[in-house]
Amino acid sequence: MTIRSTYALPAMLALLALVADPALAHSGDGYGGGFIAGFTHPILGWDHVAAMVAVGLWGAFLGAPAIWILPIVFPLVMAFGAVLGILGVPVPAVETGIALSAVVLGLMILFAVKPPIWVAAVIVGAFAIFHGYAHGTELPATVNAFAYAVGFVISTGLLHLIGIGFGLLVRWPGGRVAVRGAGGVISLAGVAFLTGMA
Amino acid sequence: MLSAGPAFAHAPVPGVRGFYVGLLHPFSTPAQALLMLGLGLLVGHLALPTAGRQLVLFFVAAIAGLVAGQGTGALDLLMFGAAFAASATAALLPGRLVPLVALLVALGGFCIGAVSVPDPGPAADRLFVMSGSIVGATVGLLFLVGIVDVIRDRYNWPWVGIALRIAAAWVAAIALLMLALGVAGAPAG
Repeated sequence: MTIRSTYALPAMLALLALVADPALAHSGDGYGGGFIAGFTHPILGWDHVAAMVAVGLWGAFLGAPAIWILPIVFPLVMAFGAVLGILGVPVPAVETGIALSAVVLGLMILFAVKPPIWVAAVIVGAFAIFHGYAHGTELPATVNAFAYAVGFVISTGLLHLIGIGFGLLVRWPGGRVAVRGAGGVISLAGVAFLTGMA
Repeated sequence: MLSAGPAFAHAPVPGVRGFYVGLLHPFSTPAQALLMLGLGLLVGHLALPTAGRQLVLFFVAAIAGLVAGQGTGALDLLMFGAAFAASATAALLPGRLVPLVALLVALGGFCIGAVSVPDPGPAADRLFVMSGSIVGATVGLLFLVGIVDVIRDRYNWPWVGIALRIAAAWVAAIALLMLALGVAGAPAG
């Protein structure tokens, strides 16, 4: 095989991949569409991602029992917030609350704040209501509700686990710096959400 | 080979299809599946003798539900509520509050039995379907409890217990959402 053909074939494949239209073998409704819609909903919102990862990070930073209490409290209270959204109960300043969650949780990690576990649970739970409310009100009417709920709860939990996994680096001095730095980045991102820069 | 017809080695047992349909029935709707999963996570955290008594209680309650039930989907909201209560208890207080666990197991078993009553038809066929439902529900719960117990027994790493509690919290969150959707009148899937 010559050098020209070695590069020509991958180049042609790349070109084809770029110009090709997406293949839509399945419609977006039903269980599959509902699950995908629910799973991607928290991931596609950076404000949600920052706060979910921060919950896991802070839990890992606080150590036991917070490492498991916070990821348990969050989905339970988040579901309660979603209930408020679904039932149309008004909750003020939802977007502000979501942005503030990134700011506050990021600062907790940055400054290595270690309050009593019930205080941490209350802080996390309070912010979970705003996140859940947003999920509840944004529930698409066209998708399978059960699959959507399964998708977004699992997605949220996996974001927590990513935070916990990264947060376990606090065992090492360098990791501790990295985790606190990540808290700072999350807090700055929260400020950007709050001020409308992101 | 192309022209050969299918070989029927066994004549199907009359009514056995209904039995198989009944076997899967306790996991056939979101409400029932979440309830079974929640009860499995709840009872799986108990010591084996206590868990065995809960399984017997579930069986008796399911029979009672079958006798009293109408086979409609009107119990979906109650089942979502029971699934939330069972899963939330498994997440927050695993292996404790045995009287509450017994209450939830009895309620869950009754609901599963009550929604397993088949549509009107020949009595023998209905009996097969109902038998399948009771066996499916009891064996299904036995397997779920066994899986949780084996995981806890075989793997002593701290994160295993955490993972089970987080899974229970996820099931509780999904059940609560479905309950809210049901109350709001949205299609529950």
